[in-house]
Amino acid sequence: MMATPETGLLGVGILFVLLMLGVPIGMSLGVVGFGGLVLILGMEPALIKSAVLLFETLIRYELGTLPLFMLMAHLFFSAHASRDLFDAAAKMVGHRRGGLAFASIAGCAGFGAINGSSLATAATIGLVALPEMRQRGYSDALATGTVAAGGTLGQMIPPSGALIVFGIIAEQSIGKLFTAAIIPGLTQALFYLLVVWLLVRWRPSLAPPSPRANWAERWAALRRIGDMMAVILFVIAGIALGWFSPSEAASVGVLGALAIAAWRKRLNRAMLETAFVETLRTSGLLLAVIVGALVFSVFVSITGLADAVGSSVEGLGLGAVPTLLLLAVLLLLLGSVLDGLALMLLTTPILLPIVTQLGMSPIWFGIFIVRAMEIGFVHPPIGMNLYVIQGVAKDVPLSRIFKGVTPFLASDLLHLLLIILFPVIALGLPEWLGQ
Amino acid sequence: MRVLTWIGGGAMVAAAMLDGLGVLGRHTGLPLHGVIELVQAAILITGCVALVAATAAGSHARVHFLMERLSPPLRTATEAGGQLLSALFFMALLAGGVWLSADLWTGHEMSELIGVPYRWLRVATHLAVGAVVLLLLRDAIRRRPS
Repeated sequence: MMATPETGLLGVGILFVLLMLGVPIGMSLGVVGFGGLVLILGMEPALIKSAVLLFETLIRYELGTLPLFMLMAHLFFSAHASRDLFDAAAKMVGHRRGGLAFASIAGCAGFGAINGSSLATAATIGLVALPEMRQRGYSDALATGTVAAGGTLGQMIPPSGALIVFGIIAEQSIGKLFTAAIIPGLTQALFYLLVVWLLVRWRPSLAPPSPRANWAERWAALRRIGDMMAVILFVIAGIALGWFSPSEAASVGVLGALAIAAWRKRLNRAMLETAFVETLRTSGLLLAVIVGALVFSVFVSITGLADAVGSSVEGLGLGAVPTLLLLAVLLLLLGSVLDGLALMLLTTPILLPIVTQLGMSPIWFGIFIVRAMEIGFVHPPIGMNLYVIQGVAKDVPLSRIFKGVTPFLASDLLHLLLIILFPVIALGLPEWLGQ
Repeated sequence: MRVLTWIGGGAMVAAAMLDGLGVLGRHTGLPLHGVIELVQAAILITGCVALVAATAAGSHARVHFLMERLSPPLRTATEAGGQLLSALFFMALLAGGVWLSADLWTGHEMSELIGVPYRWLRVATHLAVGAVVLLLLRDAIRRRPS
Protein backbone atom coordinates (compact mmCIF):
# COMPACT_ATOMS: atom_id res chain seq x y z
CA MET A 1 0.00 0.00 0.00
CA MET A 2 1.20 3.52 -0.79
CA ALA A 3 2.20 5.98 1.89
CA THR A 4 -0.62 8.39 1.09
CA PRO A 5 -2.69 10.70 3.28
CA GLU A 6 -5.69 8.46 2.48
CA THR A 7 -3.88 5.54 4.15
CA GLY A 8 -3.31 7.75 7.18
CA LEU A 9 -6.95 8.75 7.23
CA LEU A 10 -7.98 5.10 7.04
CA GLY A 11 -5.68 4.41 9.98
CA VAL A 12 -7.29 7.21 12.00
CA GLY A 13 -10.73 5.75 11.17
CA ILE A 14 -9.69 2.25 12.31
CA LEU A 15 -8.14 3.73 15.45
CA PHE A 16 -11.40 5.52 16.24
CA VAL A 17 -13.35 2.25 15.88
CA LEU A 18 -10.90 0.34 18.08
CA LEU A 19 -11.05 3.05 20.75
CA MET A 20 -14.84 2.99 20.72
CA LEU A 21 -14.78 -0.81 21.03
CA GLY A 22 -12.90 -0.41 24.28
CA VAL A 23 -9.52 -1.71 23.12
CA PRO A 24 -6.96 -0.13 25.51
CA ILE A 25 -5.84 3.26 24.19
CA GLY A 26 -2.13 2.48 24.04
CA MET A 27 -2.68 -0.82 22.31
CA SER A 28 -5.17 0.68 19.80
CA LEU A 29 -2.59 3.29 18.83
CA GLY A 30 0.14 0.66 18.68
CA VAL A 31 -1.83 -1.88 16.63
CA VAL A 32 -2.92 0.71 14.05
CA GLY A 33 0.54 2.30 13.92
CA PHE A 34 2.33 -1.02 13.63
CA GLY A 35 -0.17 -2.39 11.10
CA GLY A 36 0.23 0.75 9.01
CA LEU A 37 4.02 0.53 9.13
CA VAL A 38 3.87 -3.12 8.02
CA LEU A 39 1.70 -2.16 5.05
CA ILE A 40 3.88 0.79 4.04
CA LEU A 41 7.42 -0.31 4.94
CA GLY A 42 7.16 -4.09 5.25
CA MET A 43 7.35 -6.44 8.23
CA GLU A 44 11.07 -6.20 9.09
CA PRO A 45 11.37 -2.38 9.25
CA ALA A 46 8.06 -2.19 11.14
CA LEU A 47 9.24 -4.69 13.77
CA ILE A 48 12.62 -3.03 14.19
CA LYS A 49 11.24 0.53 14.29
CA SER A 50 8.61 -0.38 16.91
CA ALA A 51 11.14 -2.23 19.07
CA VAL A 52 13.61 0.68 18.84
CA LEU A 53 10.86 3.08 19.93
CA LEU A 54 10.03 0.87 22.93
CA PHE A 55 13.61 0.61 24.18
CA GLU A 56 14.40 4.27 23.51
CA THR A 57 11.29 5.30 25.42
CA LEU A 58 12.01 3.02 28.38
CA ILE A 59 15.58 4.24 28.71
CA ARG A 60 14.71 7.90 28.20
CA TYR A 61 15.86 10.01 31.13
CA GLU A 62 12.82 12.31 30.91
CA LEU A 63 10.50 9.31 31.31
CA GLY A 64 11.48 9.23 34.97
CA THR A 65 9.42 12.40 35.48
CA LEU A 66 6.23 10.40 35.19
CA PRO A 67 6.64 7.64 37.82
CA LEU A 68 8.61 9.85 40.19
CA PHE A 69 6.03 12.66 40.33
CA MET A 70 3.36 10.00 40.80
CA LEU A 71 5.32 8.42 43.62
CA MET A 72 5.64 11.84 45.25
CA ALA A 73 1.85 12.28 45.00
CA HIS A 74 1.14 8.86 46.51
CA LEU A 75 3.55 9.49 49.37
CA PHE A 76 1.86 12.82 50.11
CA PHE A 77 -1.51 11.17 49.73
CA SER A 78 -0.55 8.61 52.39
CA ALA A 79 0.35 11.57 54.62
CA HIS A 80 -3.30 12.79 54.33
CA ALA A 81 -2.41 15.73 52.08
CA SER A 82 -5.91 16.16 50.63
CA ARG A 83 -7.60 16.49 54.03
CA ASP A 84 -4.94 18.86 55.34
CA LEU A 85 -5.07 21.10 52.23
CA PHE A 86 -8.86 21.42 52.29
CA ASP A 87 -8.87 21.88 56.04
CA ALA A 88 -6.36 24.75 55.88
CA ALA A 89 -8.31 26.51 53.12
CA ALA A 90 -11.61 25.96 54.95
CA LYS A 91 -10.20 27.41 58.17
CA MET A 92 -9.05 30.54 56.31
CA VAL A 93 -12.13 31.33 54.20
CA GLY A 94 -14.83 28.86 55.29
CA HIS A 95 -16.71 31.49 57.33
CA ARG A 96 -17.49 33.57 54.25
CA ARG A 97 -20.58 32.91 52.18
CA GLY A 98 -19.46 30.25 49.68
CA GLY A 99 -16.24 29.94 51.66
CA LEU A 100 -16.16 26.14 51.60
CA ALA A 101 -16.58 26.20 47.82
CA PHE A 102 -13.62 28.63 47.63
CA ALA A 103 -11.73 26.25 49.93
CA SER A 104 -12.55 23.29 47.67
CA ILE A 105 -11.12 25.10 44.67
CA ALA A 106 -8.02 26.08 46.63
CA GLY A 107 -7.73 22.49 47.88
CA CYS A 108 -8.03 21.19 44.31
CA ALA A 109 -5.35 23.66 43.14
CA GLY A 110 -3.05 22.63 46.00
CA PHE A 111 -3.65 18.93 45.49
CA GLY A 112 -3.28 19.46 41.72
CA ALA A 113 0.22 20.72 42.42
CA ILE A 114 0.96 17.43 44.17
CA ASN A 115 -1.02 15.14 41.94
CA GLY A 116 -1.20 15.40 38.16
CA SER A 117 -4.57 13.93 37.48
CA SER A 118 -8.05 15.43 37.25
CA LEU A 119 -9.80 12.28 38.38
CA ALA A 120 -7.60 11.75 41.42
CA THR A 121 -7.95 15.41 42.43
CA ALA A 122 -11.75 15.39 42.08
CA ALA A 123 -12.05 12.08 43.95
CA THR A 124 -9.75 12.90 46.86
CA ILE A 125 -10.90 16.49 47.45
CA GLY A 126 -14.49 15.37 46.85
CA LEU A 127 -14.23 12.79 49.63
CA VAL A 128 -13.22 15.50 52.09
CA ALA A 129 -15.08 18.58 50.84
CA LEU A 130 -18.46 17.25 49.72
CA PRO A 131 -19.66 15.87 53.09
CA GLU A 132 -18.51 19.10 54.78
CA MET A 133 -20.32 21.38 52.31
CA ARG A 134 -23.51 19.35 52.36
CA GLN A 135 -23.49 19.19 56.15
CA ARG A 136 -23.23 23.02 56.25
CA GLY A 137 -26.31 23.38 54.01
CA TYR A 138 -24.62 24.09 50.66
CA SER A 139 -26.68 23.38 47.54
CA ASP A 140 -25.93 19.91 46.15
CA ALA A 141 -25.48 21.36 42.68
CA LEU A 142 -22.97 24.00 43.82
CA ALA A 143 -21.04 21.57 46.03
CA THR A 144 -20.70 18.82 43.42
CA GLY A 145 -20.16 21.23 40.51
CA THR A 146 -17.37 23.04 42.36
CA VAL A 147 -15.41 19.86 43.08
CA ALA A 148 -16.02 18.35 39.62
CA ALA A 149 -14.71 21.51 37.94
CA GLY A 150 -11.99 22.13 40.53
CA GLY A 151 -10.69 18.61 39.94
CA THR A 152 -9.66 19.54 36.41
CA LEU A 153 -7.04 21.87 37.90
CA GLY A 154 -5.02 18.73 38.63
CA GLN A 155 -4.44 18.33 34.91
CA MET A 156 -3.12 21.86 34.34
CA ILE A 157 -1.25 22.93 37.48
CA PRO A 158 2.29 21.52 37.34
CA PRO A 159 3.38 18.80 37.69
CA SER A 160 0.75 17.60 35.23
CA GLY A 161 0.66 14.02 33.94
CA ALA A 162 -0.98 15.12 30.70
CA LEU A 163 1.74 17.71 30.02
CA ILE A 164 4.47 15.12 30.68
CA VAL A 165 2.86 12.73 28.18
CA PHE A 166 2.47 15.57 25.66
CA GLY A 167 6.09 16.62 26.18
CA ILE A 168 7.32 13.10 25.49
CA ILE A 169 5.20 12.40 22.40
CA ALA A 170 5.63 15.89 20.90
CA GLU A 171 9.32 16.04 21.90
CA GLN A 172 8.92 19.33 23.76
CA SER A 173 10.64 20.55 26.92
CA ILE A 174 8.62 19.34 29.92
CA GLY A 175 10.12 22.13 32.04
CA LYS A 176 8.93 24.77 29.58
CA LEU A 177 5.48 23.16 29.44
CA PHE A 178 5.26 23.21 33.25
CA THR A 179 6.29 26.87 33.36
CA ALA A 180 3.82 27.73 30.59
CA ALA A 181 1.03 26.02 32.56
CA ILE A 182 1.46 28.12 35.71
CA ILE A 183 -0.46 31.24 34.58
CA PRO A 184 -3.25 29.30 32.78
CA GLY A 185 -3.62 27.08 35.87
CA LEU A 186 -3.81 30.04 38.24
CA THR A 187 -6.19 32.03 36.01
CA GLN A 188 -8.39 28.96 35.65
CA ALA A 189 -8.58 28.69 39.45
CA LEU A 190 -9.37 32.43 39.65
CA PHE A 191 -12.17 32.01 37.10
CA TYR A 192 -13.68 29.24 39.25
CA LEU A 193 -13.46 31.42 42.36
CA LEU A 194 -15.18 34.20 40.42
CA VAL A 195 -17.97 31.82 39.35
CA VAL A 196 -18.60 30.81 42.97
CA TRP A 197 -18.53 34.47 44.07
CA LEU A 198 -21.05 35.45 41.39
CA LEU A 199 -23.33 32.49 42.16
CA VAL A 200 -23.50 33.18 45.89
CA ARG A 201 -24.07 36.90 45.27
CA TRP A 202 -26.89 36.06 42.88
CA ARG A 203 -28.47 33.45 45.17
CA PRO A 204 -27.09 33.62 48.74
CA SER A 205 -29.10 30.58 49.87
CA LEU A 206 -26.82 28.36 47.76
CA ALA A 207 -24.04 28.58 50.32
CA PRO A 208 -24.74 29.71 53.89
CA PRO A 209 -21.82 31.09 55.92
CA SER A 210 -20.10 28.77 58.44
CA PRO A 211 -18.67 29.57 61.91
CA ARG A 212 -15.36 31.49 61.80
CA ALA A 213 -12.23 29.56 62.90
CA ASN A 214 -10.01 31.40 65.38
CA TRP A 215 -6.40 32.27 64.53
CA ALA A 216 -4.98 29.48 66.68
CA GLU A 217 -6.93 26.92 64.63
CA ARG A 218 -5.88 28.64 61.41
CA TRP A 219 -2.19 28.59 62.27
CA ALA A 220 -2.41 24.94 63.30
CA ALA A 221 -4.03 24.05 59.97
CA LEU A 222 -1.44 26.08 58.02
CA ARG A 223 1.42 24.43 59.94
CA ARG A 224 0.10 21.02 58.90
CA ILE A 225 0.50 21.85 55.19
CA GLY A 226 3.58 24.06 55.52
CA ASP A 227 6.14 21.31 54.91
CA MET A 228 4.25 19.86 51.92
CA MET A 229 3.69 23.22 50.29
CA ALA A 230 7.36 24.14 50.83
CA VAL A 231 8.43 21.01 48.92
CA ILE A 232 5.90 21.63 46.13
CA LEU A 233 6.85 25.30 45.75
CA PHE A 234 10.54 24.39 45.76
CA VAL A 235 9.93 21.80 43.03
CA ILE A 236 7.88 24.13 40.81
CA ALA A 237 10.15 27.14 41.40
CA GLY A 238 13.21 24.97 40.77
CA ILE A 239 11.90 23.98 37.34
CA ALA A 240 10.78 27.50 36.41
CA LEU A 241 14.04 29.11 37.55
CA GLY A 242 16.25 26.43 36.01
CA TRP A 243 17.74 25.09 39.26
CA PHE A 244 17.00 21.58 38.06
CA SER A 245 15.37 19.70 35.20
CA PRO A 246 11.80 18.31 35.57
CA SER A 247 13.23 14.79 36.06
CA GLU A 248 15.52 16.03 38.81
CA ALA A 249 12.64 18.02 40.29
CA ALA A 250 10.56 14.85 40.48
CA SER A 251 13.43 13.13 42.32
CA VAL A 252 13.77 16.06 44.72
CA GLY A 253 9.99 15.87 45.27
CA VAL A 254 10.15 12.14 46.07
CA LEU A 255 12.99 12.66 48.55
CA GLY A 256 11.08 15.55 50.15
CA ALA A 257 7.89 13.49 50.37
CA LEU A 258 9.79 10.55 51.91
CA ALA A 259 11.39 12.88 54.45
CA ILE A 260 8.01 14.42 55.37
CA ALA A 261 6.35 11.00 55.69
CA ALA A 262 9.20 9.87 57.95
CA TRP A 263 9.02 13.11 59.99
CA ARG A 264 5.28 12.58 60.45
CA LYS A 265 5.95 8.94 61.49
CA ARG A 266 3.81 7.62 58.64
CA LEU A 267 6.61 5.98 56.67
CA ASN A 268 6.27 2.23 57.01
CA ARG A 269 6.45 -0.88 54.86
CA ALA A 270 2.70 -1.09 54.15
CA MET A 271 2.48 2.60 53.21
CA LEU A 272 5.47 2.31 50.88
CA GLU A 273 4.10 -0.82 49.24
CA THR A 274 0.74 0.83 48.58
CA ALA A 275 2.48 3.88 47.08
CA PHE A 276 4.66 1.63 44.89
CA VAL A 277 1.71 -0.48 43.66
CA GLU A 278 -0.40 2.55 42.76
CA THR A 279 2.51 4.34 41.10
CA LEU A 280 3.57 1.31 39.07
CA ARG A 281 0.04 0.60 37.82
CA THR A 282 -0.57 4.17 36.67
CA SER A 283 2.91 4.48 35.18
CA GLY A 284 2.46 1.22 33.25
CA LEU A 285 -0.83 2.47 31.87
CA LEU A 286 0.75 5.72 30.68
CA LEU A 287 3.86 4.00 29.38
CA ALA A 288 1.78 1.69 27.15
CA VAL A 289 -0.04 4.76 25.88
CA ILE A 290 3.21 6.64 25.15
CA VAL A 291 4.78 3.72 23.26
CA GLY A 292 1.58 3.17 21.25
CA ALA A 293 1.32 6.90 20.51
CA LEU A 294 4.92 7.08 19.29
CA VAL A 295 4.42 4.13 16.90
CA PHE A 296 1.19 5.74 15.68
CA SER A 297 2.94 9.11 15.20
CA VAL A 298 5.59 7.53 12.99
CA PHE A 299 2.86 5.94 10.87
CA VAL A 300 0.94 9.24 10.57
CA SER A 301 4.07 11.20 9.64
CA ILE A 302 5.06 8.66 6.95
CA THR A 303 1.62 8.85 5.33
CA GLY A 304 1.81 12.66 5.05
CA LEU A 305 -1.66 12.98 6.57
CA ALA A 306 -0.71 15.90 8.80
CA ASP A 307 0.73 17.85 5.84
CA ALA A 308 -2.37 17.15 3.74
CA VAL A 309 -4.74 18.26 6.50
CA GLY A 310 -2.52 21.31 7.08
CA SER A 311 -2.68 22.25 3.38
CA SER A 312 -6.46 21.82 3.35
CA VAL A 313 -6.85 24.02 6.39
CA GLU A 314 -4.49 26.60 4.88
CA GLY A 315 -6.54 26.45 1.67
CA LEU A 316 -9.59 27.62 3.60
CA GLY A 317 -7.77 30.93 4.11
CA LEU A 318 -9.39 31.52 7.48
CA GLY A 319 -6.44 33.09 9.27
CA ALA A 320 -4.89 32.02 12.55
CA VAL A 321 -7.57 32.82 15.14
CA PRO A 322 -10.59 31.40 13.24
CA THR A 323 -8.57 28.25 12.46
CA LEU A 324 -7.67 27.82 16.11
CA LEU A 325 -11.32 28.35 17.06
CA LEU A 326 -12.26 25.69 14.53
CA LEU A 327 -9.72 23.31 16.08
CA ALA A 328 -11.09 24.08 19.54
CA VAL A 329 -14.61 23.18 18.37
CA LEU A 330 -13.27 19.98 16.79
CA LEU A 331 -11.48 19.03 20.02
CA LEU A 332 -14.57 19.75 22.12
CA LEU A 333 -16.74 17.63 19.78
CA LEU A 334 -14.25 14.76 19.82
CA GLY A 335 -14.05 15.18 23.59
CA SER A 336 -17.74 14.23 23.72
CA VAL A 337 -16.91 10.66 22.70
CA LEU A 338 -13.22 10.21 23.55
CA ASP A 339 -11.62 10.58 26.94
CA GLY A 340 -8.87 13.16 27.43
CA LEU A 341 -5.85 10.97 26.88
CA ALA A 342 -7.26 9.34 23.73
CA LEU A 343 -8.21 12.78 22.43
CA MET A 344 -4.69 14.14 22.92
CA LEU A 345 -2.92 11.14 21.43
CA LEU A 346 -5.22 10.85 18.43
CA THR A 347 -5.10 14.52 17.49
CA THR A 348 -1.58 15.67 18.42
CA PRO A 349 0.25 14.09 15.44
CA ILE A 350 -2.27 15.68 13.04
CA LEU A 351 -3.02 19.03 14.66
CA LEU A 352 0.42 19.99 15.97
CA PRO A 353 1.90 20.57 12.48
CA ILE A 354 -1.15 22.67 11.54
CA VAL A 355 -0.78 24.79 14.63
CA THR A 356 2.95 25.33 14.08
CA GLN A 357 2.22 26.27 10.45
CA LEU A 358 -0.05 28.99 11.83
CA GLY A 359 2.93 30.36 13.71
CA MET A 360 1.91 29.10 17.15
CA SER A 361 4.46 27.42 19.38
CA PRO A 362 4.15 23.70 20.23
CA ILE A 363 4.35 24.71 23.91
CA TRP A 364 1.22 26.83 23.45
CA PHE A 365 -0.46 23.89 21.71
CA GLY A 366 0.36 21.66 24.70
CA ILE A 367 -1.46 24.07 27.03
CA PHE A 368 -4.33 24.50 24.55
CA ILE A 369 -4.93 20.76 24.12
CA VAL A 370 -4.69 20.04 27.86
CA ARG A 371 -7.21 22.84 28.48
CA ALA A 372 -9.53 21.26 25.88
CA MET A 373 -9.01 17.86 27.55
CA GLU A 374 -9.96 19.33 30.91
CA ILE A 375 -13.24 20.61 29.50
CA GLY A 376 -13.96 17.07 28.30
CA PHE A 377 -13.67 15.93 31.92
CA VAL A 378 -16.74 17.94 32.91
CA HIS A 379 -19.01 17.88 29.88
CA PRO A 380 -21.37 15.00 29.10
CA PRO A 381 -21.60 12.33 27.87
CA ILE A 382 -18.02 11.33 28.90
CA GLY A 383 -17.42 13.89 31.68
CA MET A 384 -15.42 11.48 33.86
CA ASN A 385 -15.23 13.92 36.78
CA LEU A 386 -19.03 14.02 36.93
CA TYR A 387 -19.13 10.24 37.42
CA VAL A 388 -16.31 10.38 39.96
CA ILE A 389 -18.26 12.95 41.99
CA GLN A 390 -21.42 10.88 41.72
CA GLY A 391 -19.42 7.98 43.12
CA VAL A 392 -18.63 10.12 46.16
CA ALA A 393 -22.11 11.68 46.53
CA LYS A 394 -24.24 8.71 45.44
CA ASP A 395 -27.61 10.28 46.29
CA VAL A 396 -27.07 13.30 44.00
CA PRO A 397 -28.41 12.59 40.49
CA LEU A 398 -26.05 13.11 37.56
CA SER A 399 -28.37 15.75 36.09
CA ARG A 400 -27.96 17.84 39.25
CA ILE A 401 -24.17 17.52 39.17
CA PHE A 402 -24.23 18.64 35.54
CA LYS A 403 -26.45 21.58 36.47
CA GLY A 404 -23.90 22.51 39.12
CA VAL A 405 -20.95 22.29 36.76
CA THR A 406 -22.58 24.28 33.93
CA PRO A 407 -21.49 27.76 35.14
CA PHE A 408 -17.93 26.45 35.53
CA LEU A 409 -18.11 24.96 32.04
CA ALA A 410 -19.09 28.38 30.69
CA SER A 411 -16.06 29.90 32.43
CA ASP A 412 -13.89 27.11 30.96
CA LEU A 413 -14.99 28.00 27.43
CA LEU A 414 -14.27 31.68 28.06
CA HIS A 415 -10.85 30.78 29.48
CA LEU A 416 -10.05 28.62 26.43
CA LEU A 417 -11.07 31.52 24.18
CA LEU A 418 -8.73 33.85 26.08
CA ILE A 419 -5.85 31.37 25.69
CA ILE A 420 -6.48 31.41 21.91
CA LEU A 421 -6.80 35.19 21.68
CA PHE A 422 -3.93 35.95 24.05
CA PRO A 423 -1.23 33.25 23.71
CA VAL A 424 0.88 35.32 26.11
CA ILE A 425 -1.19 33.77 28.94
CA ALA A 426 0.74 30.54 28.29
CA LEU A 427 3.92 31.81 26.68
CA GLY A 428 4.58 34.95 28.73
CA LEU A 429 6.13 33.34 31.80
CA PRO A 430 8.59 31.02 29.97
CA GLU A 431 9.67 33.97 27.81
CA TRP A 432 10.03 36.26 30.82
CA LEU A 433 12.14 33.63 32.59
CA GLY A 434 14.27 33.24 29.48
CA GLN A 435 13.39 29.57 28.88
CA MET B 1 3.82 -9.72 42.12
CA ARG B 2 4.92 -8.49 45.54
CA VAL B 3 8.58 -9.07 44.72
CA LEU B 4 8.13 -7.21 41.43
CA THR B 5 6.49 -4.32 43.28
CA TRP B 6 9.52 -3.96 45.54
CA ILE B 7 11.91 -4.25 42.59
CA GLY B 8 10.02 -1.51 40.71
CA GLY B 9 9.62 0.61 43.84
CA GLY B 10 13.26 0.11 44.79
CA ALA B 11 14.30 1.20 41.30
CA MET B 12 12.20 4.36 41.65
CA VAL B 13 13.69 5.25 45.02
CA ALA B 14 17.19 4.49 43.70
CA ALA B 15 16.56 6.77 40.70
CA ALA B 16 15.34 9.55 43.02
CA MET B 17 18.35 9.23 45.34
CA LEU B 18 20.86 9.15 42.49
CA ASP B 19 19.24 12.14 40.81
CA GLY B 20 19.08 13.96 44.15
CA LEU B 21 22.80 13.33 44.68
CA GLY B 22 23.45 14.54 41.15
CA VAL B 23 21.61 17.82 41.83
CA LEU B 24 23.40 18.27 45.15
CA GLY B 25 26.76 17.55 43.53
CA ARG B 26 26.16 20.00 40.71
CA HIS B 27 25.14 22.84 43.02
CA THR B 28 28.06 22.24 45.38
CA GLY B 29 30.69 22.10 42.66
CA LEU B 30 31.17 18.32 42.86
CA PRO B 31 29.43 17.02 39.73
CA LEU B 32 28.86 13.26 39.71
CA HIS B 33 29.57 11.94 36.22
CA GLY B 34 27.43 9.12 34.92
CA VAL B 35 24.55 9.60 37.35
CA ILE B 36 22.13 10.12 34.48
CA GLU B 37 23.13 6.76 32.98
CA LEU B 38 22.41 4.98 36.26
CA VAL B 39 19.09 6.81 36.58
CA GLN B 40 18.21 5.75 33.03
CA ALA B 41 18.83 2.10 33.95
CA ALA B 42 16.70 2.44 37.10
CA ILE B 43 13.90 4.10 35.13
CA LEU B 44 14.00 1.31 32.55
CA ILE B 45 13.55 -1.28 35.30
CA THR B 46 10.70 0.79 36.76
CA GLY B 47 9.05 1.01 33.33
CA CYS B 48 9.37 -2.74 32.75
CA VAL B 49 7.80 -3.59 36.10
CA ALA B 50 5.14 -0.90 35.57
CA LEU B 51 4.05 -2.42 32.25
CA VAL B 52 3.65 -5.84 33.89
CA ALA B 53 1.90 -4.38 36.96
CA ALA B 54 -0.62 -2.40 34.87
CA THR B 55 -1.39 -5.44 32.70
CA ALA B 56 -1.68 -7.83 35.66
CA ALA B 57 -4.12 -5.42 37.33
CA GLY B 58 -6.04 -4.90 34.06
CA SER B 59 -5.71 -1.17 34.51
CA HIS B 60 -4.86 -0.06 30.97
CA ALA B 61 -6.73 3.10 29.94
CA ARG B 62 -9.66 2.62 27.57
CA VAL B 63 -12.66 4.52 26.24
CA HIS B 64 -15.81 3.29 28.01
CA PHE B 65 -18.38 5.25 26.02
CA LEU B 66 -19.67 2.37 23.86
CA MET B 67 -18.55 -0.55 26.04
CA GLU B 68 -20.92 0.42 28.83
CA ARG B 69 -23.84 0.21 26.43
CA LEU B 70 -23.09 -3.32 25.17
CA SER B 71 -24.84 -6.43 26.50
CA PRO B 72 -22.66 -8.41 28.97
CA PRO B 73 -21.90 -11.34 26.58
CA LEU B 74 -21.03 -8.96 23.72
CA ARG B 75 -18.94 -6.88 26.07
CA THR B 76 -16.98 -9.91 27.27
CA ALA B 77 -16.36 -11.02 23.68
CA THR B 78 -15.26 -7.50 22.67
CA GLU B 79 -12.91 -7.33 25.64
CA ALA B 80 -11.37 -10.68 24.74
CA GLY B 81 -10.87 -9.42 21.16
CA GLY B 82 -9.21 -6.28 22.51
CA GLN B 83 -6.91 -8.34 24.71
CA LEU B 84 -5.89 -10.52 21.75
CA LEU B 85 -5.16 -7.42 19.65
CA SER B 86 -3.14 -5.97 22.52
CA ALA B 87 -1.20 -9.23 22.84
CA LEU B 88 -0.50 -9.05 19.10
CA PHE B 89 1.03 -5.58 19.45
CA PHE B 90 3.25 -6.64 22.34
CA MET B 91 4.26 -9.79 20.44
CA ALA B 92 5.42 -7.53 17.62
CA LEU B 93 7.42 -5.44 20.10
CA LEU B 94 8.94 -8.61 21.55
CA ALA B 95 9.82 -10.05 18.15
CA GLY B 96 11.44 -6.80 17.02
CA GLY B 97 13.29 -6.44 20.31
CA VAL B 98 14.68 -9.98 20.27
CA TRP B 99 15.73 -9.50 16.64
CA LEU B 100 17.61 -6.31 17.57
CA SER B 101 19.20 -7.92 20.63
CA ALA B 102 20.41 -10.86 18.57
CA ASP B 103 22.00 -8.45 16.08
CA LEU B 104 23.64 -6.32 18.79
CA TRP B 105 24.55 -9.03 21.33
CA THR B 106 28.18 -9.43 20.34
CA GLY B 107 28.61 -5.66 20.01
CA HIS B 108 28.54 -5.26 23.82
CA GLU B 109 26.52 -2.05 23.59
CA MET B 110 27.24 0.20 26.60
CA SER B 111 26.47 3.66 27.92
CA GLU B 112 29.10 6.33 27.20
CA LEU B 113 30.43 7.41 30.61
CA ILE B 114 30.29 4.49 32.99
CA GLY B 115 29.59 1.59 30.65
CA VAL B 116 26.12 0.42 31.76
CA PRO B 117 25.64 -2.79 29.69
CA TYR B 118 22.62 -2.19 27.47
CA ARG B 119 22.25 -5.79 26.38
CA TRP B 120 21.09 -6.84 29.85
CA LEU B 121 18.68 -3.93 29.94
CA ARG B 122 17.33 -5.16 26.60
CA VAL B 123 16.89 -8.64 28.13
CA ALA B 124 14.94 -7.08 31.03
CA THR B 125 12.69 -5.36 28.47
CA HIS B 126 12.08 -8.64 26.63
CA LEU B 127 11.17 -10.40 29.87
CA ALA B 128 8.68 -7.66 30.75
CA VAL B 129 7.11 -7.55 27.28
CA GLY B 130 6.95 -11.38 27.25
CA ALA B 131 5.17 -11.33 30.61
CA VAL B 132 2.70 -8.74 29.28
CA VAL B 133 1.93 -10.96 26.27
CA LEU B 134 1.32 -13.99 28.52
CA LEU B 135 -0.92 -12.00 30.88
CA LEU B 136 -2.99 -10.59 28.00
CA LEU B 137 -3.38 -14.05 26.41
CA ARG B 138 -4.36 -15.54 29.79
CA ASP B 139 -7.03 -12.87 30.28
CA ALA B 140 -8.35 -13.29 26.73
CA ILE B 141 -8.60 -17.08 27.08
CA ARG B 142 -10.18 -16.92 30.53
CA ARG B 143 -12.44 -14.06 29.36
CA ARG B 144 -11.33 -12.13 32.42
CA PRO B 145 -12.66 -8.56 32.22
CA SER B 146 -10.06 -5.80 32.44
